[in-house]
Amino acid sequence: MATAIREFDPKDMAQHPDSYFRREYVWELPVRISHWVNAACLIVLFLTGIYISHPILAPSGEAYKNFVMGRVRQIHFISAMVFMVSFLVRVYWFWMGNNYSRSGFPFVWRPSWWRDLFRQATDYLKLERGHVHLGHNSLGGLVYTLFVVALGWAQMFTGFALYSETNPSGFFGRVFGWVLPFLGGSFQARMWHHTFAWGFVVFAILHVYVILYDSTQYGNGLITSIISGYKFYKRGDLKHDRWVS
Amino acid sequence: MTTRVVVDPVTRIEGHLRIEAMLDDRNVIHDAISSGTMWRGLEVILQGRDPRDAWAFAERICGVCTTVHALASVRSVENALGIQVPPNADIIRNIMFLTQMVQDHVIHFYHLHALDWVDVVSALKADPAATAALAQKVSPSWPYASTGYFRDIAGTLKKFADSGQLGIFQNAYWGHPAYKLPAEANLMAVAHYLEALKWQKEIVKIHTIFGGKNPHPNYIVGGMASAISMQGDNAINMERLNYVRGLIQDATNIVENLYIPDLLAVASFYPEWTQIGGGLGSYMVYGDIPQNGIGDPSRFRFPRGVVLHKNLSEVLPLDLADSGQITEEVAHSWYEYPEGKKALHPWDGVTQARYNGPKPPYKQLDENGGYSWLKSPRWKGNAVEVGPLARMLVGYASGNTEFKDVVGEALGALKLPATALFSTLGRTAARGLETRLAVRWLMQEYEHLITNLKAGDSATADTSRWDPSTWPAEAKGFGFTEAPRGALGHWLHIKDQKIANYQIVVPSTWNASPKDGQGQRGAYEAALLDTPMADPKRPVEILRTIHSFDPCLACASHVLGPDGRKLSEVIIR
Amino acid sequence: MENPPLRPSTYQVLEQHGVDRRSFIKFCTAMAAALGLDATMVPQIVEALENKPRIPVIWLHGLECTCCSESFIRSSHPIAQDIILNMISLDYDDTLQAAAGFQVEDIRKRIMKEYPGEYLLAVEGNAPTKDGGVYCTVGGETFLSILEETAEKAKAIIAWGSCASNGCVQAAKPNPTGAKPIHALLPHKTIINVPGCPPIAEVMTGVLTYILTFGQLPELDRIGRPKMFYGQRLHDKCYRRPFFDAGQFVEAWDDEGARKGWCLYKMGCRGPSTYNSCSTFKWNNGVSWPIGSGHGCIGCAENNFWDNGPFYQRLSGIPVPGIDSTPDEVGATLAGAAVIGVGAHFVSSVVRRFGQKPAQPTPDSGDKGRGDV
Repeated sequence: MATAIREFDPKDMAQHPDSYFRREYVWELPVRISHWVNAACLIVLFLTGIYISHPILAPSGEAYKNFVMGRVRQIHFISAMVFMVSFLVRVYWFWMGNNYSRSGFPFVWRPSWWRDLFRQATDYLKLERGHVHLGHNSLGGLVYTLFVVALGWAQMFTGFALYSETNPSGFFGRVFGWVLPFLGGSFQARMWHHTFAWGFVVFAILHVYVILYDSTQYGNGLITSIISGYKFYKRGDLKHDRWVS
Repeated sequence: MTTRVVVDPVTRIEGHLRIEAMLDDRNVIHDAISSGTMWRGLEVILQGRDPRDAWAFAERICGVCTTVHALASVRSVENALGIQVPPNADIIRNIMFLTQMVQDHVIHFYHLHALDWVDVVSALKADPAATAALAQKVSPSWPYASTGYFRDIAGTLKKFADSGQLGIFQNAYWGHPAYKLPAEANLMAVAHYLEALKWQKEIVKIHTIFGGKNPHPNYIVGGMASAISMQGDNAINMERLNYVRGLIQDATNIVENLYIPDLLAVASFYPEWTQIGGGLGSYMVYGDIPQNGIGDPSRFRFPRGVVLHKNLSEVLPLDLADSGQITEEVAHSWYEYPEGKKALHPWDGVTQARYNGPKPPYKQLDENGGYSWLKSPRWKGNAVEVGPLARMLVGYASGNTEFKDVVGEALGALKLPATALFSTLGRTAARGLETRLAVRWLMQEYEHLITNLKAGDSATADTSRWDPSTWPAEAKGFGFTEAPRGALGHWLHIKDQKIANYQIVVPSTWNASPKDGQGQRGAYEAALLDTPMADPKRPVEILRTIHSFDPCLACASHVLGPDGRKLSEVIIR
Repeated sequence: MENPPLRPSTYQVLEQHGVDRRSFIKFCTAMAAALGLDATMVPQIVEALENKPRIPVIWLHGLECTCCSESFIRSSHPIAQDIILNMISLDYDDTLQAAAGFQVEDIRKRIMKEYPGEYLLAVEGNAPTKDGGVYCTVGGETFLSILEETAEKAKAIIAWGSCASNGCVQAAKPNPTGAKPIHALLPHKTIINVPGCPPIAEVMTGVLTYILTFGQLPELDRIGRPKMFYGQRLHDKCYRRPFFDAGQFVEAWDDEGARKGWCLYKMGCRGPSTYNSCSTFKWNNGVSWPIGSGHGCIGCAENNFWDNGPFYQRLSGIPVPGIDSTPDEVGATLAGAAVIGVGAHFVSSVVRRFGQKPAQPTPDSGDKGRGDV
């Protein structure tokens, strides 16, 4: 708004290199695909999940003609499988991808991580730009760790444990069945699964807002980066040639 | 010199009961204490829960008299919320109630009480042919009375005895001089013990049909969950109703041709037990089996009222909501009341557990201190007995012809005066007579249900007040029933859609209660007085009187913690 | 007794019931096959069944309501009489025992002494642990001490019902007596948990006769339940499952759906989270079962089911102590808080931006070059 678009002046750029943005390929294709698949799955999972606990449609006619609940559950299960694959691809890419794919890892034992966390939080609160991470900053990394990674695992463990109930001696029963007694029974597992689901809603609200805010305030192309893979930076911003912040 | 006879555990009852009887030098009981030795704290657990769930918790107080607590519980919630259940729900509940009564009484007679009168070992000496003759004389209409049948039973028994593994029958009081039945009567009784064991699992199917299972069938606040659809195959329909009808017919057969003849036959050998075990002589009945809704006691099949001091010419009125009538005391209980409080109505009840008995393992309790987990409920300060005898006497004293007829018939058959009822045997007999009424009423209630269905009324639940948002912020209610063992009351206080206080006064608390502040004994204790014992080491006489009450201790031992008050620390000295 | 006690073996008992030797051998052969044994083992099985005395059983009662015993005697196949007289030697059981008082306690001590490692211990109810166990005493001793003493030399321990397996109603919050299930009191013992309030009669007798017939414990799942009876949820074999899948639910008691026998899911049915045989065996010789009679399952065979209420809701309070709201209420509140937080941040950032508008012209700010690359 306040900024008028000016003629590009190579001399000015040479004189004031810090004022100019540069472009960096940050999010590789698997990261971007996984992001959007996860987003789609979580939306479907949440909506179908809520429906399963509060079915509201009341189809008429004989039971054999209808399969409303069954279909909703089927969609839920299919989405869960897709989510799991996508999630695991992202976990694989954590190891195989570029350093940005590992950025944001919560190095809770390193003071530098805590400093960055504090800095980022105050930047947000003071509405200042500060410097920008090309990958995830500590705060973002922490939120993703808790709300996507931890919650994702929790939902997969509780979810597939509940899914396994239809065939306790099958593959899912053998792998995830222990979760039920661990949480105090099937009902409690269901309660946890349902409670955790809301975590994604809270995350989605925070995530979308922060993305919009960051993108506007920092001018780093955050929104488009998850489509194109490119982010913008200026001198002073952090490239992630190593994991730590 | 005083001999102290300790019976703990008292077996063939529900729960954990301890009796300590003090004998004089002629071996006659001159003092006795009755102690409930378990406590589960159900009322504390009920606090803060959804009142619609309470029936399920309360039902788990007892699995022997299953359903009765559920019934009293749903009635207390309905009373608090002003719900009137549809007539069909009342009828189905009556059918379930009577089913429970019939099953419970028959089980009690054969499996919990009979071995006090029947010497199983003596049955080994019986002659099958003579037993068959006896059986045919005692009950001409009962089909299993051939010599071959009794020979088989005798064979099974012999094989069992010869094994040396006597199981539940070992170490008992066989050969005790107090056993008076001839060998043939004993064999017949053993055969019928097994017949009744087979049958009791049939009658409860009525519970299964309406309540889904037994023990512990399901109830709901507002009616019954078993919907009726005469045009469908997935609800109560003609097939289910026919099943119920058949089970009622079988029950009638068992009661009329097995239980009652056996009861009268056994009773005729023990006339001295019409003089022993009378106890308090005061009786109380809340009444039950509504014919016009639970709010109209004048139309109960079991009339409500109190008979005091064996005075059958007057039935005193009773009000469960009157704080001056039903109160509980804790003078000899392991609870304490706040300063200055002696007796409290269940709605105002305050209780804190305070164990001051001996530290286990112990040899004896202190009759002058606290000695029981049971409290002492009293009616206007009077210790009263509840149960089948109370119901028969209050019905009799109310002038109800149904009661007068069955009582008169039995007394005539045994050639006994009405005063014989005030005794151990009278209590046992009253239970049988009541069962006769119960099977008749079962069929009448069934017919009543059919009549309603013919008239087009198939409603089983009133759900207008199912949703907690329709409830007042605060409500108080009470629910009651006549459990097999006597008057049962639940008092409930709902606040903000949750249970704020829940209090239960059960029949066995009335009967097994310890002494109150005035030194009045509970019914068990009073009934044991003046009982002569032939052999204090083998206390079959104590068991006879105690079993005549059909103790149910899981029910009896309870406590309440009103207003979320925590239980105080238990002090062990 | 003069003669040494002669105990009837399984064969003698079967013989007495009219089973001839030929059928008996056939039975033994079938049993060997079922156990996966070689045919050469048949004589050994014959030998064992011909000569083994009935196994002594001590049946203890702690904090309970006796519904398990009541259920046990409701068994239709085998009937209770058959078990008590022919299959086991029920030497100690407060509910059915003829003797009382010290005579009963003597029996228990004698069985423990004469049959160490050979008797079965069946426990109905559980033990209070608070205040030295005074909330349940038998013969002046705490039930806890009796349980520990009797368990020591037991061949196997069966925990009847939800009290013994899970704690059940007396262990529901706030558990005023400190009641604990048997496995928590006897941590080093193998315990067969047979939960349910009560368990189905035929499940009880089924577990018992399996042990007697095959001489081994049934295969147990992760929490000690026999897989053969607790392997699946009611829901998966519920005859109302088609209505669940169709989405046809009872919405209120005695409504049209209730009369048509639709799914009770929305009435809080715990069938989808309860492992038991109710939907296959049903109750009281298959007459009906809770769902069949129009009331949802309350999950009575499940751990902690009392605290999973209210029974008529799909969701109870969220499983975090101190919070008494459903997951949806908690989730919506948190989401609301997130929206408020985000909104506050947004408003302040807008205010800041407009407030700073006059100070913007300095070319030194980070805005420089935006859109230039």
